[in-house]
Amino acid sequence: MPPYTNIPLSPAELSYLHTSLSSTPPIRPDGRTPTQFRPLVAETAILPTANGSARVCFSDGTEAIVGVKAEVEKTRGGGMEQDVNMGGDDGNDEGKGEVQWLQLGIDIPGLRDDDALPVFLGAMLREALLADGGLAARLNINARFHWRLYVDILLLSPPLSYPLPLLSLTTHLALLSTRLPALVSQGDEDPLFNDDWQASLPLYPSKASQPPITLLVISVQDTILFDPSVPELAVADAVLAISVLQTPGSRTWSVVAIRTVDPPSRLTAAGVPSSLGSAGGAVATATNAEVLLARERDEIGSVWRPPRGGVGRKVIARMVKMVVESGGVADEVMGGLEGVEIGMS
Amino acid sequence: MQADRRRLNAPAGGTAPPVFASANTSPPRRRRKADEHRKIFLQTGIVPSAAGSAYYELPPDPATPPLTRKSSLKITCTVHGPRPLPRNAAFSPNLLLTTHVKYAPFATKTRRGYVRDSSERDLGLHLETALRGVVIGERWPKSAADVVITVLEGEDDGPAGAHSGDMGSGWGMLSVLAGCITVASAAIVDAGIDCVDLVSGGVAALVHDQSSEITTVLDPAPAEHVTRAACLVAYLQSRDEITEMWMKGDAGGDLGGLIESAVQSATLARTVLVEAVKDSTEARVAAMSPPELPSTDAASKGRPKDVVTTG
Repeated sequence: MPPYTNIPLSPAELSYLHTSLSSTPPIRPDGRTPTQFRPLVAETAILPTANGSARVCFSDGTEAIVGVKAEVEKTRGGGMEQDVNMGGDDGNDEGKGEVQWLQLGIDIPGLRDDDALPVFLGAMLREALLADGGLAARLNINARFHWRLYVDILLLSPPLSYPLPLLSLTTHLALLSTRLPALVSQGDEDPLFNDDWQASLPLYPSKASQPPITLLVISVQDTILFDPSVPELAVADAVLAISVLQTPGSRTWSVVAIRTVDPPSRLTAAGVPSSLGSAGGAVATATNAEVLLARERDEIGSVWRPPRGGVGRKVIARMVKMVVESGGVADEVMGGLEGVEIGMS
Repeated sequence: MQADRRRLNAPAGGTAPPVFASANTSPPRRRRKADEHRKIFLQTGIVPSAAGSAYYELPPDPATPPLTRKSSLKITCTVHGPRPLPRNAAFSPNLLLTTHVKYAPFATKTRRGYVRDSSERDLGLHLETALRGVVIGERWPKSAADVVITVLEGEDDGPAGAHSGDMGSGWGMLSVLAGCITVASAAIVDAGIDCVDLVSGGVAALVHDQSSEITTVLDPAPAEHVTRAACLVAYLQSRDEITEMWMKGDAGGDLGGLIESAVQSATLARTVLVEAVKDSTEARVAAMSPPELPSTDAASKGRPKDVVTTG
């Protein structure tokens, strides 16, 4: 079980949180508005031995470092190695890359590589980065060689809250600060690079095309909240991770990936209705079957009950709209990230 | 006989020059209508030793000639439990559901290892999300259930002839997951675990068709299309809710329509699921009650639905 599901909250506390979050306007435990993010500290180009790097520290103490390194590699079946052509497309077409050229690793303290959380986060971030094919195409050097890009994500603190927004923002900044040495050879020669680091070229050269960002959105009844903290996740009805990409040359956003995340609220314990006489310190005399029956008949939700079922289509549509609309959350986050100075290591 | 190891000897049986298959096999085309699902075979109760089990198959299109026929999708699922947690395990107020998705080593073009790789773990997590919302976990405190899925034959991924590397294009994973969700739902019902509804998986995709226009198709076979975006949902029809959604690719402005089509595809899969569950329940009721007694239908459905498991 992932560590974030060990929720140290009683059914009464969960019920209190749920009620305050589902009221209009919602009252979040830390007083934020529904679309407000927690403050963060970010810096880029902090690792001298990496092609690009970034560090982001959230105000709740979670901190992540991402290092991007690139290696030159021979393209399989490219150029002279290609002696038997089995038909189909010959892989020589310009501007195409392969998804294997990007490797992404996530290290979270206290968790193994094959635990659920790192696997899920890794697959989600990778999927978003490769969604438009632009990154893989940029890794082409010539018909015979390509860059292999290693994105290594290190969470320095224990995963206090669901670390997806943190890791996504850090990866975004690290890729923006990534520079590749300038090519001086021509055509399909063995690649030779300019050894002047000042002449190196950024992986994302223009402001117009940027790496995607992934946002975590939760719903509590009709309320939609962004950047949830641990107690808010504990009462969420549905958790969605939405990856958005800025359409090149415009300020509009397109959704490139959506995934549902298993809400930890489904693992919480349900409360016992006070009609059974267990309230006020009285000795509970009800059997387990009676408790279950009383919970089932508790239609109005007088006590906390873990959510059942899924999320309605209308709620999902509203979540997506809040992210991508002009002046929406994605615009806001990108505006905040533009304030981060992209340095040169 | 001692082999002569001093020299490089010719092979004993002679050699034959390699013969390559002709590359002019045309890629498979979609023959179904855009809103037509492939035929589904679904049967429950195939593994007697498990609490619940089911088998799911999408047969290949019989209209294609046998030489160019692509592989189909075959998935088995077994459910073990609910059973009590071991004594040394931590207390859990809900049913602990674990899911394992594993491709058989021979399921795809490239061989899969015996240890689950990251894409299989990822599929398992998606399946867990889809099922966790359906199972009423609070009725089984201190107990666990395992859902084990083996993909016996995975679909060919990517267009025919293209060398798609180790991972493939990844679009086929969506169809596999949709099958996994439907078959796991049938097996969970077969195991008698209480659910809020039957969950079924459906996929829709935005594809480039022959005239390179973008159309929406239900249940895409990945080899037949050049996919632009695809969406999977695990859908509860009677509650009109989605427990799991996985969207990939650039849907542009038509995200809502894509989700709508995926829901429609899940609704089509649900009709098969309902029939399969009904068949197995009827067979079980017929086996349990002697024919002369009029069986009270609600009381004798499958396993006893007692929830008095704690104590």
